[in-house]
Amino acid sequence: MTHVSNTSAPLLKIEALRLTFGQRDVLKGVDLTVNKGEVVVLIGASGSGKTSLLRCINLLNMPSHGRITIDGEAIYEADTKARDGNDVPAKTVNRIRSRTGMVFQQFNLFPHMTALENVMEGPITVKKADKEATRKEALDLLAQMGLQEHVGKYPRQLSGGQQQRVAIARACAMHPQVMLFDEPTSALDPELVGEVMKAMVDLARSGMTMVIVTHELGFAFEVADRVIFLDEGTIAEDGPPNEILLRPTHPRLKSFVGRFHETADLLRPFLESS
Amino acid sequence: MFDFSVITQNWPLFWNGLLVTLLYSALSIAAGLVIGLVIGLIQLTGSRTLALLGRVYVEIFRNIPLLVILLWIYYAFPIFAGLSVTKFWAGFAGLSLYAGAFYAEILRAGVQSIDKGQSDASTALGMTYGQRMRRIILPQAFRRMIPPLAGQSIIQIKNTTLMSMITVPDLLYQASYVSSFTYRPMEVYTMVGFMFLVLLVPLTLLSRKLEKVSERMK
Repeated sequence: MTHVSNTSAPLLKIEALRLTFGQRDVLKGVDLTVNKGEVVVLIGASGSGKTSLLRCINLLNMPSHGRITIDGEAIYEADTKARDGNDVPAKTVNRIRSRTGMVFQQFNLFPHMTALENVMEGPITVKKADKEATRKEALDLLAQMGLQEHVGKYPRQLSGGQQQRVAIARACAMHPQVMLFDEPTSALDPELVGEVMKAMVDLARSGMTMVIVTHELGFAFEVADRVIFLDEGTIAEDGPPNEILLRPTHPRLKSFVGRFHETADLLRPFLESS
Repeated sequence: MFDFSVITQNWPLFWNGLLVTLLYSALSIAAGLVIGLVIGLIQLTGSRTLALLGRVYVEIFRNIPLLVILLWIYYAFPIFAGLSVTKFWAGFAGLSLYAGAFYAEILRAGVQSIDKGQSDASTALGMTYGQRMRRIILPQAFRRMIPPLAGQSIIQIKNTTLMSMITVPDLLYQASYVSSFTYRPMEVYTMVGFMFLVLLVPLTLLSRKLEKVSERMK
C-alpha cells in the first residue's frame, strides 16, 4: 500500500450533513473530510446510514441540511427556499456530479447497450466527447479490467463479476476525482468477489481517491487508509484500519467487528472440511 | 340452412364498411398514441400540477364507457358548445381520446417499471433529466411497452364497431343495414365475426411474437 502524503489537499468535504426520510433522521450531522488519494472505507450495521451518506455525496439522496464540497466547489448547500432544498443550481450539480464516479451493488449497467457502449455513454452524452477517442479509451479501460474479449457483449451475457468490472470502467471513463463504491461485492457469488476486489485494489494503487461502503473487513484492513464506523447516523469511530478493526473501543463497534470474527470462527470447521 | 349469397350479393357494402373500420382504426390509433405520449409524459415530469392534469384525463376517459363518450360527443356536446359535430369528427375524437387514456397508462407504467438503479446510474454519470429519459429510460421502456401497446391496439380496432351507434358506416353498421333488408342476421353477423377474426388473429400472433422478442431483450 502506497501512502501518498495526504496531509494537505481536502478533495471532499462534508459539513454538518443531515438527511431525513419522512420522520426518520438517517444522518444526524456528519462531518467528514477526504483527502486526495485517500481510500476511506465506511462500515456499520444496516440502517446505520453508510449507504445514505455515500449517496448524498453525489446527491442521489438530497440531504436536508449541511454542505458538501468537491474540489473546493459546493455541490450542495442547504436552502429552505429552493424547491429541491439545494442552493446550488441543477446545472452546477450535474457538472460537479460528473467529478464523482459511482459503482453500485446491483451494477446497474444499461442493459440495452454493449459493455463498450456502457463505458462510452458517459463521455459521449454528458461531455460530448469525440467518439473515436472515447472508443479507444473505453477499449483500453475494459482491457485493464481484463475484459478485452467481452467488449461487444450485453450485460445479460456477462457474469456478475464481469458486469461489475464493466461498471467500474464506466465510472472511470468520466475521469472522476473521487470514486464511490456502494457495497460493490455484496451481490456477487463468493468466487467472483476476488476479481472485482483486484480491480479496486489496482484503482487504489493508481492513486484514485475512493470512498467505499463494504462488509468485506479483510479488504478494508488491507486497502483502506481510514476506516469509519457509522452508528445511528453519526460517525462513531474514525481511524486507521488496524486501530478500528483490531482495537475497537466503541462498544457497538466491538460487537460489530466481533460478529465478523465470530462468523469466521463458526464457519472455519466447515471451510476446513470441504 | 346458411345462405351466404346475401353476403356475395351485398359484398360492396361489406367492403366499404371494412375500409371505414380500417380507416378509423388507423387514424384513432395514431392520434391516440400522440395523446397517450403527451398525457403519459406530463405525469412523469415531477410537476404535481401536470401530473394531476394527466391523472384526471386518464380517469375520465378510462372510466366512462366508450359508447357513452361517443354518444355524448355526437349528441350532447354540440348542444353545450353550440357547434355542429359531424359523424366523422365525433367518431374520430371519441375513439382517439379513449385510446389516449389507455396508451398513457401503458407509457407511464412502462417508464415506471424500469429499475430505479438505471436512473441512479445515469444520474451518477452527470446526465440531465432529458438525457436520462432519452438515452436510458425510454429505450428500455419502449421495448417493454410493445406487447401491451399491441394488445390495446387490437382492442381499439374492435372498439370501432361502437361507432355504428352514431351511424358511422363501419363494417358493423353496414352489416346491420344488410340484415335489415335481407332478414338474414345469421349469415350477416357470422360474416362480420369472421372478418374480424381474419383481420385480428394475425395481429394477435404478431403481438405474441413481439412479446417473446421483448422478453429476450431483458
